[in-house]
Amino acid sequence: MITDELYSTYQSNLLAGSRSVCSHIVTDLIHSNIPIKELYIHLFQRSLYEVGTLWERNKISVATEHMCTAITESLINLCYPAIFSANHTGQKAVITCTPGEYHQIGARMVADHFELHGWDGYYLGSNTPTDELIKFTMEKQPDLLAISISVSFNIPSLMALVKKIRSHFSDLKILVGGQGFRWSGADEFQTMGNIHLITSLDELEQKFLIPRRHDT
Amino acid sequence: MTPEANPHLIDYLILESSMICLIIGKDGTILKANSCADSLSGHKLEGHPLNDFFVDFGRALDLTVFLNGSRDKILVNISTSSELPETYYFRFFDLGNSILALGEANRQEIGFLRKNMLELNQELNNLTRELLKKNVELKKLNDLKNQFLGIAAHDLRNPIGIIMTYSNFILEELNHEMTDAQITMLNTIQTTSEFMLRLLEELLDINALESGKLRLEAHKTDLLGLVRTNTSMMNVIAAKKNIHIQVESYETIPEVIIDRGKIEQVLNNLISNAVKFSLPGTTVTVKLFLTGDHVTVAVVDQGPGIPANETDRLFKPFQRTSVKATAGEKSTGLGLSIVRNIILGHHGKIWVESKVGVGSAFYFSLPLSS
Repeated sequence: MITDELYSTYQSNLLAGSRSVCSHIVTDLIHSNIPIKELYIHLFQRSLYEVGTLWERNKISVATEHMCTAITESLINLCYPAIFSANHTGQKAVITCTPGEYHQIGARMVADHFELHGWDGYYLGSNTPTDELIKFTMEKQPDLLAISISVSFNIPSLMALVKKIRSHFSDLKILVGGQGFRWSGADEFQTMGNIHLITSLDELEQKFLIPRRHDT
Repeated sequence: MTPEANPHLIDYLILESSMICLIIGKDGTILKANSCADSLSGHKLEGHPLNDFFVDFGRALDLTVFLNGSRDKILVNISTSSELPETYYFRFFDLGNSILALGEANRQEIGFLRKNMLELNQELNNLTRELLKKNVELKKLNDLKNQFLGIAAHDLRNPIGIIMTYSNFILEELNHEMTDAQITMLNTIQTTSEFMLRLLEELLDINALESGKLRLEAHKTDLLGLVRTNTSMMNVIAAKKNIHIQVESYETIPEVIIDRGKIEQVLNNLISNAVKFSLPGTTVTVKLFLTGDHVTVAVVDQGPGIPANETDRLFKPFQRTSVKATAGEKSTGLGLSIVRNIILGHHGKIWVESKVGVGSAFYFSLPLSS
């Protein structure tokens, strides 16, 4: 269980760049069989949201923000043996960031959640060129495509990407989400067909990953 | 306006600026350094020669180069307290009796490097993710392979056993009614089926070991006694090749807690391998000695030896070396892998020392305490 005390030890070490202490905390939690989702939401996500807030308020430098993200990405690797062990359902999702979006950790956590639920989560990373994404999607024929933006400046880029995708895949289910929608931008996507705005990992899980009774 | 015309500007540069600011005498001595320069270098620069701060890779810096009247920035590598040199862009100004040197980092270059580092880090993490995913998939496939192997080996064992028994029966009972050619064929059937049965049994062993099903029934055992019994049995086989097996032990070996059957399997394998690869007229020596809190067993032969580049893969399944058995004996390529797993299961160690043209020594050590 992630107590407030444990969280604050983790967070202060993350901000200080003490990767090894953070790594011990995460390893201990994994060994205690904590659900991976809890680790993602109550440790990684919570701490990165806090780091983002500190950056926005000029409490930490952009270099510190990048260091915290880099450390967190390496800590997420520790969870993979558990994540990839799920039995596969045969469903496929492609997860990506828009061109120009360099914050990839949110998309990566989404891809990992698909894997955790037995999907094949094909994760393409940050700043994916549109043509490459279309080529990859044609090749894999996924059940859905998830696109993440972390900064709101990338909403126009997302809009352009979605239109391009639609012109190639008229029926493909598209999920959009990420911190880029924190303040605005959601309305523009609500009216488009078969596009779903996802605001949290919980919502993603409830609406798309946990099989409903009539699906089974 | 020159810096000299504005003493406040000099004071600011010397005390507070995040630029490197040095006032240098014409002889190359640093007359004054600001706090930025001092903290970067890790010590007070005042009074030191400029060459102590500027990394010139062995060449003496020529101040006249800096004072050629050009206003261009000069790229200089400086030594820092972090032991990693840093690159600064310097401008030099002639102040009459001294020189003012102002150095600043190239923000664009740092930004570019940082962006590249971030991208490389992301790429590394994404590749790690893919690698770990593939690892889990490979593990699942390996488990499936073991399961399949177990079923196949188990189901094939009985029919091969029947082939072996019946061929043996025909050879013994109907020998007088057969031609020499028929007897040769039946002998081939028998030796081949024996080899297949051994292969299947070793596959079942590997399967059990890889699936973590190694069950040890450990009891206090007289290891030296076990070695002597095993050696005397193996001497019968070795005698056919005119090879002698001897045991050497010059100290009291305490009882060890081991699975007798499994360690016997280890001894059988190592000694029969030694016999297999030895030439007639040579000796195989089995040595027992104490090493700290372990007892070590060494099986030493006078065979052809194993090339150094082949010893690493000896204990992996299905690996064979370029060394050939001296009487054409067959090998499944699984024995040493099984042996290694049995020894590791006893918390022991196994290794080999070999020299081409001299021979090989296979060692295993077992803890004296449980």
